[in-house]
Amino acid sequence: MTKNSLKTGPDELGYYGEGDAAMGGMAVGETLMPALHELSKGFEEAIKDKEFLDEYTYYCKHYIGRPSPLYYAENLTKKLGGAKIFFKQEHLNHTGSHKINNSLFQVLLAKRMGKTHLICESGAGQHFSATAAVAAKFNMPLIGVMGDIDIKRVNQNIIKAKHYGAKLEAVPGTLKEAITSAIKIWSSNPEYAYICGSAVSSAPFPKLVAFAQSIIGKEIREQSMEQEGKIPDMIVGCVGGGSNFAGAIYEFLDEPNVKKIGVEASETAALSNGTPGIMQGMKTYMLQTDDGAKSLGGMSLGAGITYFSVGPMHSYLKDQKAVSYSSATDQEMLDAYKMIAQTEGICSALEPMAGAAEIIFRQAKDKPKDYIICLSLCGRGEKDLDTIQEHIGKDFE
Amino acid sequence: MSERLDKIFKSPAPKTKLVSYFVGCYPTPEISLELIKEAIDNGVSILEIGYCTSEASAEGPIIKAAHDHVLNNGHNLKDIIKLVKDIRDYNQDVGIVLMGYIANLYKYPISKFVDDIKVAGADAVLVVDAPHELKEENQLREALNSNGLSLIKLAAPTTDDNRLKDIVDIASGFLYQVNVSGVTGVKSANEIDVTNFVKRIRNLTDIPICSGFGIKSPEDAKKMANSGCNGVIVGSAFVKYIQDNIENKDLPQSLGNLVKNFTEELK
Repeated sequence: MTKNSLKTGPDELGYYGEGDAAMGGMAVGETLMPALHELSKGFEEAIKDKEFLDEYTYYCKHYIGRPSPLYYAENLTKKLGGAKIFFKQEHLNHTGSHKINNSLFQVLLAKRMGKTHLICESGAGQHFSATAAVAAKFNMPLIGVMGDIDIKRVNQNIIKAKHYGAKLEAVPGTLKEAITSAIKIWSSNPEYAYICGSAVSSAPFPKLVAFAQSIIGKEIREQSMEQEGKIPDMIVGCVGGGSNFAGAIYEFLDEPNVKKIGVEASETAALSNGTPGIMQGMKTYMLQTDDGAKSLGGMSLGAGITYFSVGPMHSYLKDQKAVSYSSATDQEMLDAYKMIAQTEGICSALEPMAGAAEIIFRQAKDKPKDYIICLSLCGRGEKDLDTIQEHIGKDFE
Repeated sequence: MSERLDKIFKSPAPKTKLVSYFVGCYPTPEISLELIKEAIDNGVSILEIGYCTSEASAEGPIIKAAHDHVLNNGHNLKDIIKLVKDIRDYNQDVGIVLMGYIANLYKYPISKFVDDIKVAGADAVLVVDAPHELKEENQLREALNSNGLSLIKLAAPTTDDNRLKDIVDIASGFLYQVNVSGVTGVKSANEIDVTNFVKRIRNLTDIPICSGFGIKSPEDAKKMANSGCNGVIVGSAFVKYIQDNIENKDLPQSLGNLVKNFTEELK
């Protein structure tokens, strides 16, 4: 690893960067601190264990269906008339999103550490259904916490999770409330394994989740080299907590020639409109009142990116000016959805359409034809069909 | 180290101190002050005054509802510090601990917070989500220590002896012994577990130990007082009483009677 590498962080206490500007850390109650240190130790040991990593790789291939294709979106490329656009097809994974990379990794880790019960939170329900699938596979009971607003709008994922045998714990609200509630349930049952769904919360979760998802970027490199003879010039992904985008860019962090753009929902754009604060276990950019008493932020159509805060690695990368962050509106996401459905025959989830909107409306057109842009297409759209139908259904008739 | 807390624990009476948690400015700043005055008059040794944050991760449904009420009324940490000043003007002996989460302190920011609470007359601060691994905990602890105030540290049932040693080394004022794993006001504390935990801590330190979580009635308080701890902490039981009687005009007096039922058992 090179000196001053962006891949060296976080330190053992979970800090990305140094001094007062450092992001991340461990801001949780004493009851959970031993569990977090135990998890940290378990993680560091596991990633040195070849047998464990081989098992993960085996299930990545045979259970998830990796590698996911790097697909040349030829029609979309022609329509925009600029850069060559590729989709990293994470939506083709078993259970329909990138979430399963992390669920599989963390459940295998929990098993290795002798854990018998699992808890998870979820926004879009993708992490819940993915974790429920893996929990069923490895025969471990799971409690999934979700906000009632999300439960209503992504109901298909909850039905699937229940079929896999998981229990749903409903709380009023969205992802933010689900995360706070999951921490409460974990505090009451500290012997359980908490399968955190994004690169958020206290250390070691941001590091651990980014590690599990970094398989996305490794495959992008290999596939792009094989198919195009070079790595992408730009990688774009949506950001809620930031796990899929962290996974897509981690491999390329020390390559400034690869431009990286993370796109949040404009209603909850913590990196564009927020300030540093400490909530939900971590120091990071977030939308909150000036006095730090209340989290803020509106509602996006993308349940998985309706989050007032963001993973600390992204806050650090923003401060380092190593990655750019922007935002997309609901309308832009819907327009991008429609264009991709009609040009490529792909029914995407709404969340990655925040990234697609950035490419379609702001990046692709003025780029040369040999400029490669890779979009992390991190989820499939079945869960969002009711929402999409409600908002733009008439456009398709 | 707070001299006032030191004096409270050196005093022989009451035998076991009652530490009571109130959500600051709940249900209103005026009634909150009246309730706390009654608690003082009925023998509370130390007050924990809670300030509120929307993402509090250790509060059960009772205290969470009170926090939401205060947040919705728009009262923040500045109002709570004003309340602390009013309490201190009323009584010079009671210990006052500000209790809450790091979110508000970080934004205040920390150095100004410590200056302001010192002027207001607080003795200590307890931050639920600030373990010693957190940079801001280190900053806060240093600022409090150099101003003669205390940072109250917590020990949980999950805290092993190695970690407990690190915690008692930096503890000041008293150690908050968390009796059960979980959120406030839900599980009940078990006398044998609490007694064993007090012993485990006492083997490592002479600092006063206050036992909290899962103490719901005067009978519970009496049992826990037999564990060898120096104080018992009651929170959700008082907050629930306030919630259930919020329309009652005699609420401050009747809360005072409830507090007295506890302090009578701890003499």
